[in-house]
Amino acid sequence: MASTQILKSRIRSVKSTRQITRAMQLVAASKMRRSQEAAKASAPYSLAARQLLNALAGHTSVSDHPLFVKRRVKTRLLIVIASDKGLAGAYNYNIIKAYTEQLQADDKAGIKNTTIAIGRKAAQFVSRIKDTQVMGVYQDLPDRPDGRELRAILDSVRVKFTSGEVDAVDVIYTEFISIVKQTQRIVRVLPAGVDNEVESEPSTSTDAVYEPSATEVLDGVAYRLVGAQIFQALLDGRASEHSMRMLAMKNATDNASDLIEDLTLAMNKARQGAITQELAEISAGVEALNE
Amino acid sequence: MNLKLITMLGVKVDEEIYELIVPTSTGEIAVFPGHEALVTLAVPGAIAVRYHKGDPDSKLEFFAISGGIVEISQKAIRVLVDEADHGDDIIEAESRAALDRAIELREKAQDQIELEKAHQLVDRHSVRLKVAELRRHHRR
Repeated sequence: MASTQILKSRIRSVKSTRQITRAMQLVAASKMRRSQEAAKASAPYSLAARQLLNALAGHTSVSDHPLFVKRRVKTRLLIVIASDKGLAGAYNYNIIKAYTEQLQADDKAGIKNTTIAIGRKAAQFVSRIKDTQVMGVYQDLPDRPDGRELRAILDSVRVKFTSGEVDAVDVIYTEFISIVKQTQRIVRVLPAGVDNEVESEPSTSTDAVYEPSATEVLDGVAYRLVGAQIFQALLDGRASEHSMRMLAMKNATDNASDLIEDLTLAMNKARQGAITQELAEISAGVEALNE
Repeated sequence: MNLKLITMLGVKVDEEIYELIVPTSTGEIAVFPGHEALVTLAVPGAIAVRYHKGDPDSKLEFFAISGGIVEISQKAIRVLVDEADHGDDIIEAESRAALDRAIELREKAQDQIELEKAHQLVDRHSVRLKVAELRRHHRR
């Protein structure tokens, strides 16, 4: 039986671990609330954006626009959104699994691919593998990413696509459904307007007039709307990260509490055992003296 | 007609209105019910909203917007912008100070990226200041 000394010091160390995980849980919870609100608040923007895109893509003058051109996919650009920090449960693992599946599928289909990694964990992973060419790495994005970071990503994506270097752009991210449910999703952002999940509103912009010219408006529309999709993916990823970290830390805290209980029990048993043994020895000594 | 002012941070306005004045890349346009279907680009500036027919100018509501898209159909207007601030939320003195700081930043900018950032800040704050002034002017 382990000595009470060793058990005591183990209890102490588990307790301090619990303190840390509990603090992380609370921090993640408050961050999650904020990013959850942000992800929900921008949803109407993304939705309207996609509806517009779909409505525009059905429009005849639209299909010729460089961002709407559908080519046979020979090279694909993947944007992987993971987190900067670990200890978020299976968040990064799941994203990287979804990403590797895509790489393998591309391998089989003979499609070349390049990658933009967002988040340190994604960057670390892509730098280790040989199957893909890394186009860019973005780390330490703020909790509320604003236009500037987005624009840098967006601009390089647009140039690659319009120049024909890549034929499709997909974003791999974690969709935030609820605090306990997040799923990995792959969304095609370019060529624009191929997302079939959103029904376009029947009355939207059919036979609309474009000012100053159709191409100029479309350019602005498509560019902005593709940006909105990437922005939404970023926000969703953020909200998912925080909620998964919160859950992981809650589990860790609970586990630590269980462990402390078990250790305390073991320690008490050990102490009682020692006392019983001492008593037995004393009474044995008394018996021996009496004889 | 229904106006939806949608930003990346949420829906700012979702109401029935009578008139909308919005700065576009081809100049400022005023939109009344029954306007032809139009999709155009909004440029950074001030948009004005008149809720009811016959409302005086003092009842106009102003928003400072960044660039975006205006989609007009017969019954509804959708304005998608990255950012929109209600005139009432902008404090004139603060925007003026922020604009001065931004101009100072622009003059001190060392490289292209800083200059770009400063330009954006100057644009943003001059729009906000303009909205604050417009609002004061009309309320007087």
